[in-house]
Amino acid sequence: MNRRSFIRVVGMTTLGVASAGCAGRAPSDARALARPELLVALGDAPVRALGARYRVLTPAERDVDALRDAIVGSRSLRARLVGAASPPIAEMVRDDFQHGRMVLIDGWLFSVTEARQCALYSLLAA
Amino acid sequence: MHTDARTLENGSLIEGDLCIVGAGAAGITLAREWMDAGHRVLLLEGGGFDYDPRMQELYRGENVGLPYFPLQAARLHYFGGTTGHWAGFCSTLDRHDFETRDWVPHSGWPITRADLEPYYRRALPILQLGSDEWSAAGWQRRDSTLVPFPLDESVAWTKMWQFSPPARFGMLYRDAIVGARDVHLYTHANVVEILANEGATAVDGLRVRTLEGKEHRVRATRYVLACSTIQNARLLLASNGRASAGLGNAHDLVGRFFMEHLEMPSGNLAMLGRAPPSTQMYAFVFGRTKARGELALSAAAQREHRILNATVALEAAPLVEQGKSTFEWATPDVVDKMRVERVVPEDLPAASAVPRTFHLLTRQEQAPNPASRITLGTDRDALGMPRVRLDWRLTELDRRSFRGFYDALGRELGRAGIGRLQMRDWVMEPPTSPWPKSLGGGWHHMGTTRMHADPKQGVVDANCRVHGIANLYVAGAAVYPTAGCVNPTLTLVALTIRLADHLRGLEQRVP
Repeated sequence: MNRRSFIRVVGMTTLGVASAGCAGRAPSDARALARPELLVALGDAPVRALGARYRVLTPAERDVDALRDAIVGSRSLRARLVGAASPPIAEMVRDDFQHGRMVLIDGWLFSVTEARQCALYSLLAA
Repeated sequence: MHTDARTLENGSLIEGDLCIVGAGAAGITLAREWMDAGHRVLLLEGGGFDYDPRMQELYRGENVGLPYFPLQAARLHYFGGTTGHWAGFCSTLDRHDFETRDWVPHSGWPITRADLEPYYRRALPILQLGSDEWSAAGWQRRDSTLVPFPLDESVAWTKMWQFSPPARFGMLYRDAIVGARDVHLYTHANVVEILANEGATAVDGLRVRTLEGKEHRVRATRYVLACSTIQNARLLLASNGRASAGLGNAHDLVGRFFMEHLEMPSGNLAMLGRAPPSTQMYAFVFGRTKARGELALSAAAQREHRILNATVALEAAPLVEQGKSTFEWATPDVVDKMRVERVVPEDLPAASAVPRTFHLLTRQEQAPNPASRITLGTDRDALGMPRVRLDWRLTELDRRSFRGFYDALGRELGRAGIGRLQMRDWVMEPPTSPWPKSLGGGWHHMGTTRMHADPKQGVVDANCRVHGIANLYVAGAAVYPTAGCVNPTLTLVALTIRLADHLRGLEQRVP
């Protein structure tokens, strides 16, 4: 499929949440984060390509540290907001969709968290 | 009774109480409803009992707007009409389809879904449909393998469809019509002109021709045009002996607001998880499936995004393949096979093949658009009738609605943890972009004599009577002010039963 490469924020909020905090790095093993559920649905190569596309189109999140910080920061922020433990990634993904934190990559509507996971995967998968 | 109009002496006069023009789904339904009512019903069919290329040729016209299917292949011109090749897809219009939506110009019906409800029920046996259950939960109670996706119904829901075998009216109802004492079917009786009185306030008669050159007159108390959306408009426009713009066309509305359903592959769905939810509810096997669900947005979501109504069918397929639109896969030859060949149930898919990826096939209503229209051309057919010109046009709202629909549906499928949605490139393009090559319709022609209480906004009133003409009515999808997102046959049969009741009521009031 010859899709044009573009990425857009869809919905009510923006990607700004990513920079809201980089404090809680405790659970931030980047390899653990680089396992998007999309792998089962789409397979290795498409996920890798979609992740690479995300990095190209989101220059502020093009390396492992930036992506890890974005996911962990978002997770910590949400934990603080609800006054509870850090939510599992699956819950963050659902929460992204609930609140319109989505990105459009090659026509796919993804949660911003899982898009970052794909980007991490594209960097870390052997 | 049945008479072949070719066997009548030239210049014959045919008389009755109710004259129905056209023996397709609407015309046959109306005739059946009037059987044994003590009135003489005339049912005029231009063709015979069998397919005849010379008859189809009468439907040939010019497509001058967006690319469209050849008109002579989109409709069938013989007893039974287009039910001779329809696929049997049935569902009901939604309640909000009847309402005025401030973001959809010219929307709103002068009747409600509740008005139509009892007639939907009466239409079921006519179309050989088994149940008046239209909820996903109801079908799940009947069959536990039919599990709808766990969607937030304030956003999206599973809209149910039922499938007629499909009912071929020509085969199903021929004996009953021909055997009826008070219904007189005339085949090869092509109406070429509606003859109005001097003030064009009532119909005095019809002029009928055969391809062999005979001409007859028909006279009745009331007349119902039931010869398809395009032909109804064509006949009104061509009947300009008393009104130069055509009958019922005082406000230049006849032929306008031609609508189709946009049936186009628009995206893909990848199910999530190692054990994704069952999709049996959404599966379809031609000739076997009795009911299935399609995905739709709630009325509230449509209002929020200011988009048109649509549903999406799931078709299991690898993502690397591209789905085709109706007009791409169903060439005139393929459509003709649907008429010729008996419906043979497809093989059931292997039980082990649990699909994880799907093409998303959208069926979206077309926004009512006065510039999308039927007019008369300069060419004439073998009967001397002006041929039609179809200027099919779409609007930015039609285009923008696809995008709005997929944004909202993709978000809800993600929130519910069901899967991820991918839009096709053309869906993401600006709404001013040209339509893609995959533009396609459902061969559903609607709207050229739209229903409205105000004669300045509609050709027929809420009872399907042509405004300003005392004894002329229209039956069929031509009266739809908006198209909804479901195939038109069930609703047009329901509306025809309603019209039959209305006309019977008028007869009973006569002293």
